[in-house]
Amino acid sequence: MTGPEAGKASAARRRSAWSGVGAALTRPAAIIGLGIIGFFLVLSIFAQWIQPYSSSTPSCGVFDPPSPAHWLGCDDGGIDVLSLVIQGGQVSMFVGFTSAGMAIIIGSIFGILSGYFGGWIDTVLMRITDYFIVIPQIVLMIVVAAVWGPSLSHVIIVIGALLWTSTARVIRAQVKTLRERTYIHRVESLGAGHLRIIWRHIVPQLAPLLIANAVLAVTVAIFNETALAFLGLSDPTAVTWGTIMEHAFDRNAISAGAWWAIVPAGLCVAAVIVGAYLWGTSIEDALNPRLRISYLSARSWRLRPLVGRGPDAL
Amino acid sequence: MHLGGYVWKRSVFAIVTIFVALSFNFVLFRVLPGSAVSSLARVPHASAELKHALEAQFGLDKPVWEQYFLYLRELLHGNLGVSFANRQPVSANLLEAFGNTLPLVATGTVIAIVLGIATGIYSAVRRGTVGETVSTNLAVLFYAFPTQFLGMMLLILFAGYLPSVGMSDPFAVGFSPGEQFVDVLRHLILPVTTLILTLYAENTLIVRSAMLETLGEDYILTARAKGLPLRRIISSYALRNAMLPIVTQVALTLGSIVTGAILIEVIFSWPGIGRALYSAVLSRDYPMLQGGFLVVTVTVVLLNYLADLLYYRLDPRLTR
Amino acid sequence: MNRETLRDAPDGAETLDAMPALQIKGLNVWFNSARDRKHATESHVVRGIDLAIAAGERVGLVGESGCGKTTTILAAMGLLPASASVSGEVILDGRNIIADGESGIQPHRWRDIAMVFQGAMSAFNPVKTIGWQIQEALQFHDIASGAAAASRVVQLLGMVGLAEQDAQSFPHQLSGGMKQRAMIAMALACNPKVLLADEPTTALDVVVQDQILKLLVRLSEELNLALILVTHDLGVVAQTCTRAAVMLEGEIVEAGVVDDLYRRPQHPYTRSLFEATPNLADSRQGAEEVGTATGHLLEVTDVRTIYAGHRRVRKGATQTAAVDGVSLHVDQGEMVALVGQSGCGKTTTLHNIMGMLPVNEGSITINAQEVTTLTPRQWRALRRDVQMIYQDPYESLDVRFRVSDTVQEPLLIHRIGNSQAERMDMVNAALRDVGLAPEDYAQRYPHELSGGQRQRVAIAASLVLRPKLLLADEPVSMLDVSVRTGILELLDRLRHEHQVGILMITHDLSTAAKYADRIIVMREGRVVETGEPWQIIHAPRTDYTRQLIESVPSPDPRSRHVVE
Repeated sequence: MTGPEAGKASAARRRSAWSGVGAALTRPAAIIGLGIIGFFLVLSIFAQWIQPYSSSTPSCGVFDPPSPAHWLGCDDGGIDVLSLVIQGGQVSMFVGFTSAGMAIIIGSIFGILSGYFGGWIDTVLMRITDYFIVIPQIVLMIVVAAVWGPSLSHVIIVIGALLWTSTARVIRAQVKTLRERTYIHRVESLGAGHLRIIWRHIVPQLAPLLIANAVLAVTVAIFNETALAFLGLSDPTAVTWGTIMEHAFDRNAISAGAWWAIVPAGLCVAAVIVGAYLWGTSIEDALNPRLRISYLSARSWRLRPLVGRGPDAL
Repeated sequence: MHLGGYVWKRSVFAIVTIFVALSFNFVLFRVLPGSAVSSLARVPHASAELKHALEAQFGLDKPVWEQYFLYLRELLHGNLGVSFANRQPVSANLLEAFGNTLPLVATGTVIAIVLGIATGIYSAVRRGTVGETVSTNLAVLFYAFPTQFLGMMLLILFAGYLPSVGMSDPFAVGFSPGEQFVDVLRHLILPVTTLILTLYAENTLIVRSAMLETLGEDYILTARAKGLPLRRIISSYALRNAMLPIVTQVALTLGSIVTGAILIEVIFSWPGIGRALYSAVLSRDYPMLQGGFLVVTVTVVLLNYLADLLYYRLDPRLTR
Repeated sequence: MNRETLRDAPDGAETLDAMPALQIKGLNVWFNSARDRKHATESHVVRGIDLAIAAGERVGLVGESGCGKTTTILAAMGLLPASASVSGEVILDGRNIIADGESGIQPHRWRDIAMVFQGAMSAFNPVKTIGWQIQEALQFHDIASGAAAASRVVQLLGMVGLAEQDAQSFPHQLSGGMKQRAMIAMALACNPKVLLADEPTTALDVVVQDQILKLLVRLSEELNLALILVTHDLGVVAQTCTRAAVMLEGEIVEAGVVDDLYRRPQHPYTRSLFEATPNLADSRQGAEEVGTATGHLLEVTDVRTIYAGHRRVRKGATQTAAVDGVSLHVDQGEMVALVGQSGCGKTTTLHNIMGMLPVNEGSITINAQEVTTLTPRQWRALRRDVQMIYQDPYESLDVRFRVSDTVQEPLLIHRIGNSQAERMDMVNAALRDVGLAPEDYAQRYPHELSGGQRQRVAIAASLVLRPKLLLADEPVSMLDVSVRTGILELLDRLRHEHQVGILMITHDLSTAAKYADRIIVMREGRVVETGEPWQIIHAPRTDYTRQLIESVPSPDPRSRHVVE
């Protein structure tokens, strides 16, 4: 039993998962993040029509530096880098979003089941999660790609199949606390079935967390794709931001001084990841009530001089 | 929880995980359909005796389950087969590569953790100031750059001033031990810097959020009411308690350390385990690939186990 | 009522003989909610507080949640967040210590003014021992170090009734009461002149609360300590303080000697607070006759529940029964109160009855139907008849559901009503039953309701099923004192109008005494006493009940404990 004062103090923790998210999304960090993601999404969707030149046939000289005709110069095959990067964005974003989607689905099923039912279901599912967590992803991907051969679908499956663990843990923790909330107990004691409780009362509360998680998963997926591509484990015929960098490195763009063959793709990856990170953490921070209180801050309270006396002094 | 219960649980978990990894390794390479890599003995250009010896050791003509036990038996003796590429035992190749990786990864990781803790604390305590904004956003930026991109940028910028290939100068014949050491150190600078830049950012963000969570705890207010100086509150209260989630989360970044190490070794031609894996893929050297996978997995599991033990030391609620 | 009238009134400062140990003068606190800079809103939380306290005196600062009482004492310690701005004076030894901002207060913290926090549970650093934390205060303030500090720690622990070896304990190894004692020991480490105690007993049991309050009184007398006690509980103030100040919306509306406040409250708010605070003296005499023609509505016979915390049960060695041979019954239209300290098994009993926790032995019948053997599916149908009211109204509603959806949900679950219109009629009827006009409230979300209104919605959501039995788990303990009466009156009316049987769990004997037909006192899983309120209060048959009664702080300062 805690007093009314305590009830008030922790009222912030009890509000809906959605309250506060709206405000968080109007912060500059979230707006910048969303802007960046939106920009690259539009670029990817309309890639075919936006790219100035072909991304498969040469349109200029080998390692031509940037010029008014070719803003970002040319690569070792005389292909326009700007067109390559736009084309690569389409595939990279596709890989990122599909494998992140896969990870989120597996992760939330694991998380909800083990958080909601607890007991042996929880033990079994979390033990499985624990094993997946300690497997070094990149090494497993190397092995899988080497055994089954490099292809985009393998990359997507492997990334998705290993990325879900953190989502599962986060969702499980959240569901576990939701499960102990009084309103869930109350609905349960009304006689509601598990499906109704999960679907009507738990999942809606999870939604913002899932969105934040999905966005962050996209960053990791894109990251892993570039790493795999760099090791030659992605589809060698597909153009992605990863293969663009790999190709340039392989063809000695560095010793040729052709930084423009590397930098644009790298910056695009960084931009998408910064965007997704800013947006995802804005939601996450808004969801974490513990971040709202700080008993130690750089600034201190102010002393306000009293102007005049009497009731109007304030 | 009774005494030692936690340690016991984690130990069993580590052992079981290693066992699962070993078995998974076996299944992946030999049992799955389509993995026509089962013949460990198909070493190119090998003598007939070597082929026969390998077939006998791994029982390649026997049923799968028998092969499995033979595989485990050979593993216990450190026999991982023979590399397709140089016909040397895989274990010898891996041991050398592991020795080369260690200085690179160890220095990089330790510096990145120390740096990450320092900037993370700064970002949390100075929350809302210009300094914090700069430090946090810098971390986000470095977190966002792919490792290979950072490596290549360093190559472009510093290739003329610092050695960028391998771990020692191939023409440095007749160097004294002291000079050799300095030479290796010079070769370490670029790869280690790349690793630090990739890892420190993630650590900063982890430490920052863990610290921010503890700063909202009631005991911080108690510490302030007690009249303790800021430094003391940060070290004995905020950081000391934040260390628990930090240890757990930093252990989870082991995966990205491995990724970083592989990419960096490829870019800087560092003859370590990552590069060994990479060339094994390129030359379809399956025994090396299997062995490398095992070594890396077992190392990661063991490091995770160490993190668990450290956590146990840090949290009195588990002990008493 | 404002500062003007207070200045003329004979307030505390003038009745002091000596120079005050601590004086707060014209304290104002504003909070800036800087969600974004353009729409920064400022709330004036503390408005011109004047308060003085002499050495050895105990002053209560009373008010309901959000009245600014905690902010006031945090301001005196300089512990406000950066969003606060402060004006006024905090005078210690003739000097205004807040004049130089936070750095000016720093040297006085703990040496001159120490504090005991509301959440003793989390106020200690969880990774350091109690002894380490007390010793740290001694060392940092140059009181003692080394062996001298260690022996001082032992001495301090002794003063608060803790053992020497408790210094080696980590916070999680101590119970709530022990932690609060350790907190007090730490607060006294540097011999402060003033001790600020913020709801020091709120999270504790009545019996433990009584012990802690007595300890505070004793220490303040022995050490000549000025004690400011912040609380929402008038009983606590009446039993411990000499003077008190009543706060409402950031202002002190009335201040004076506790006895005067109780006997001759000047301000209507003070009067309403005292009226709402339950008093054991108000216990009901004689229960009404209720119809028992059809046998007992609920009958619990010799129920025994072993807590299957972990795998321990299988080993058999450490079987502790949370509920051990409990029997009780509730009839139609009857209100029965189940009273006891936390951990006495009253909540477990309730969960047993609800079928949420399996029973190891014994039987429970509802409407003559045995329920301990029901499957979850069979239970679901029965839930129409048995409804539960939860303790925390802020928690018990899904914040995303409108009031009408919340109240309609039980109907949908049990497939009652053929059309939306028919269901809405039932919903509206239920809302009217709990005193909420449907036209005003049906479309609101929980965050647009007060705590009391939320509890009413929760009750409406149970009532809409026309249950026969209501189980109420501390239905008012999370509510402000002034709205408690309303909810209790509502429950009282429901049992009369709808013939609902109510089993109410409460830790508060005075509430039970005022509203229940019968009181069942539980301790350590067993029923120690059952009887009518008047008998329980005035002629308790067991020592335990007597101890429980004596622990209840009476709002009447003169009756230090209502007995006889």
